[in-house]
Amino acid sequence: MQWAWLIPIFSFAAAPIIVVLGRFLPTKGALLSILAIVGGFTVFWFILGSWMGSGPSTSGCFTSESTHMLTCNYERNWFNAGLVGAVGSVSLNWGILIDPLTIAMLGLVTFVALMVQVYSLAYMHGDPRFGWYFAVHSLFAAAMLTLVLADNFLLLYVAWELVGICSYLLIGFWHERAQAREAAKKAFIVTRIGDVGLLIGILLIWRDVGSFSMLDAFEAVRAGTMSEGVATTSAILLFLGAMGKSAQVPFHVWLPDAMEGPTPVSALIHAATMVVAGVYLVARAFPLFEAYDADPLMVVSIVGLVTALMAATIALVATDLKRILAYSTISHLGLMMLSLGAFGYTAAIFHMMAHGFSKALLFLGAGSVLHSTEFQETAEMGGLRKVMPLTAIVFSIGALSLGGIPILAGFWSKDEILIAVNEHRNVSFIILTLVTALLSALYMGRAMFLVFFGQLKTQNEHVHDAPFAMAIPMAMLAVLALGFGLISFNWPGAFGGIGTFVFFGHSEGFHFKVWLGVVSIVLAVAAFVASYRIYVQQSISLEGVRSRFSPFLKVCENKYYFDEAYQWTIDRVVLVFSRSIAFFDRAIVNDLLVNGPADVTRKFGVALKVHVTGHVYSYTLAMALGSVGLGIFVWLRVV
Amino acid sequence: MVDLVWFQLLSAVLFVIGLYGVMARRSAVLIVMSIELMLNAVNINLIAAASHMEGMGKFSDFDGQLIAIFIITVAAAEVGLALAIILRMFRNRSTVNVDEINLMKW
Repeated sequence: MQWAWLIPIFSFAAAPIIVVLGRFLPTKGALLSILAIVGGFTVFWFILGSWMGSGPSTSGCFTSESTHMLTCNYERNWFNAGLVGAVGSVSLNWGILIDPLTIAMLGLVTFVALMVQVYSLAYMHGDPRFGWYFAVHSLFAAAMLTLVLADNFLLLYVAWELVGICSYLLIGFWHERAQAREAAKKAFIVTRIGDVGLLIGILLIWRDVGSFSMLDAFEAVRAGTMSEGVATTSAILLFLGAMGKSAQVPFHVWLPDAMEGPTPVSALIHAATMVVAGVYLVARAFPLFEAYDADPLMVVSIVGLVTALMAATIALVATDLKRILAYSTISHLGLMMLSLGAFGYTAAIFHMMAHGFSKALLFLGAGSVLHSTEFQETAEMGGLRKVMPLTAIVFSIGALSLGGIPILAGFWSKDEILIAVNEHRNVSFIILTLVTALLSALYMGRAMFLVFFGQLKTQNEHVHDAPFAMAIPMAMLAVLALGFGLISFNWPGAFGGIGTFVFFGHSEGFHFKVWLGVVSIVLAVAAFVASYRIYVQQSISLEGVRSRFSPFLKVCENKYYFDEAYQWTIDRVVLVFSRSIAFFDRAIVNDLLVNGPADVTRKFGVALKVHVTGHVYSYTLAMALGSVGLGIFVWLRVV
Repeated sequence: MVDLVWFQLLSAVLFVIGLYGVMARRSAVLIVMSIELMLNAVNINLIAAASHMEGMGKFSDFDGQLIAIFIITVAAAEVGLALAIILRMFRNRSTVNVDEINLMKW
């Protein structure tokens, strides 16, 4: 199992090779990138197998005191700052931490990255920077895999920033377009704001524990040597970083704009590599969050709930297909955070995976639609199931899964979240969560019906279905979106359900609350039926519904004015403040303090240079007069 | 014996002539010669004073002569150096007029 570090290494190695030698390789190095991730995916199965076969007696493995999961940790010395053992010296290790959370993430990341890369072969075909795309893709996957394997906060932070820079490169991949450049910068800067919190949190933990190791930090929390104040503060600061990466309100504004990148990149960012990093971080640092009174978890759940609700309402009125999916991602990330905040550790990880497969599927389906129609606005689509049946089927599977229709993966994971929220948070939480579930089914139904049902537009009659290389990944993801929910059940003799695999504190088998299940099924089905009647049969007047909610819709269509508020703040506060700083810098620091002494020196020089005449006789005269003066002075003293 | 004051008068006249030469002359060679004149004025002063104060016990008998010989030695070296500098100056600038040698001026 100590060979798990091979998983990211393949992709790390592939990236520079593709950049340097890409043009000499067949398919510009894309195959190398795919081979690397296939290698990682293969190693993942070996790691899963060997984890299954190991117990607390395996070398490096033990049952964690805080999570009670079998955890394996392998580390070696990275470097020492200062003399080893001396006071104030720092010894840094780097290593890997393997527990079920890591394994689940490894599986999700390697699988989705593999699917997206295969899909990109066809989608990005003919792009002038085809090789570069795959190089960054490899680096992106490698960084994310390092992030989930890291056993210390420092390595995690390094990988975290690598993920950030790769997302910047991929969102701005078509940097000839101004919006793409702006979106890339926005994504980078907004997530960086959260990252500052993360860094401070990490340093705070390091100051208290004296080590960057996660296990040391969790042990300190469990043993009570870390005070409540430090634990709570650092948990909140870590959550700031997670909010930035996972696009939680108010840091969510970058994610919808990130749609400017190529669509497979969106699939990767939304499903596997970027946004789930925040959820992963909260799950990984869960012992910190739930220590003492678990106050940080209350914050997490409130932020998650607000995000989920707000994004769902925006998704309901967005008209751009990719933006609908983007807001749906934000909403579901909010649900994951809400679940973590409600002690639903298993539910959050389960939903992350179910959502990852479904959302990757939806994005690849949307990419297929955009690829052949070259439209992004849903108004330009409609009736596409007649010309692209395969895409219609897989997209519908993804939409139904996220909408929470039974049997599909999304239903089971959402159900787990509802149970967790119901158990640990008060009644307003569960009501609002159910509203979110209803909205999520509504907007999914809306996207599906608007794009694939109804009248086929004449401009779209020529479009063709996805080519082979795009169809295969979509089909495989569709199978998972269909059947992934099965792992939540107890399969006697084989597998006890996901609750016995990933858990916090104590394992739990399959459980199901009948009334919650019934309510969520009724809501989901009703939402899909309603959207079918509105958008396909048009037996419910859309205008009537819209006029009833018109003031609220206006707020939603303007995305709650977040962008405007930020723009106003930047223009009126940040820039004004910077201008005053710049004035201070120019007037006081530059003109007065730096140029001032220089000016004085120069003026003195100008005044004094007159005596350097360059004539020997004037020097001699001065010398003679000086001697005479000196002589008179001495003579007067003597007399 | 001639009175000491005549020697001192001669010395002062020679010194002032030298000083005038240094200040008024434009040719570097003549300036060096004027400096030599000033040095020799000092020598006359020293030797005259030394021979007049012989046996007065204030100084040792050879002090004035010693310093005069010392000055002659230094003057010889100084002339050699000065002429070398003037030679280089002439090679570079084709003139020994000190008014035109003002490169070091601001």
